[in-house]
Amino acid sequence: MRPDPHSFNISSERLVFAWLILLAFSFASAVLTMLPVPSAVGGGGIMFLALVKSRVILSRYLGLAQSPAWLRGFTIVLTGFSVLVFGLYLI
Amino acid sequence: MSDGGVQPGSLVDELPGELMMWVLIISELLVFGAGLIAFMAVRLTDPTGFAEAQSHLYRTGAAFNTAVLVSSGYLAAQALHWRQAARRGAARLALIGAALLGVVFLIIKGTEYAGKLGQGITYETHPFFMFYYLLTGFHAAHVLAGVGILLLVAWRDDPRNIEAGAQFWHMVDLVWIMLFPVIYLLG
Repeated sequence: MRPDPHSFNISSERLVFAWLILLAFSFASAVLTMLPVPSAVGGGGIMFLALVKSRVILSRYLGLAQSPAWLRGFTIVLTGFSVLVFGLYLI
Repeated sequence: MSDGGVQPGSLVDELPGELMMWVLIISELLVFGAGLIAFMAVRLTDPTGFAEAQSHLYRTGAAFNTAVLVSSGYLAAQALHWRQAARRGAARLALIGAALLGVVFLIIKGTEYAGKLGQGITYETHPFFMFYYLLTGFHAAHVLAGVGILLLVAWRDDPRNIEAGAQFWHMVDLVWIMLFPVIYLLG
């Protein structure tokens, strides 16, 4: 079968690593809500972890690792969204 | 003269997978993003009421659902990898596994809704719950559609079909990753 040049391909090892990162960061988010930290620190940490997880999904699951310009664009927009949500949370 | 198509080497040409799936992904992210920003803006009018309402949510179940969904996403991504390596049986099993995890997500979500409704908590109880039912319900509808799509591409297992189906499923995953902390955790 001729490989499709538009098709996304990634090694199994990288997929497993991405999955483990997502599980670990999801667990870290849950732990963060139980720690006696100021709400600004907890909220900031939770949004930061969500941002990192979304970037892992975009780069590894959705294949944007092979298209750095698009990955950068999505990261900028999602960072703006996270900052806005966090700002509204702090008000 | 331009034929109006995508030029080879253009930025759009760099996107992996189906272009129309990326249009859908961006559209869905904008819709859910606008909903979450509206949720946070309305929260400003009654932060105490929102925090009290949020304390009624089943955080453990939702956190477990996050693990379920990212694991399902892993299986969908792995299915594409295996199909490209001509391992059709493994790819089909991975897609069916991904769909089953989607069903697990829906069962937990349904249990959560039943618990809320059993306590008399509806979308009219508080503005928090209007957003809660609207955003999580709309997402659950996407999960339901995604389960159907995953099963469809497990049957019609052309690599391009699997890639498009997996893209849709990763979009559902991505939306949940941003929705979960805002609705369930930022109290």
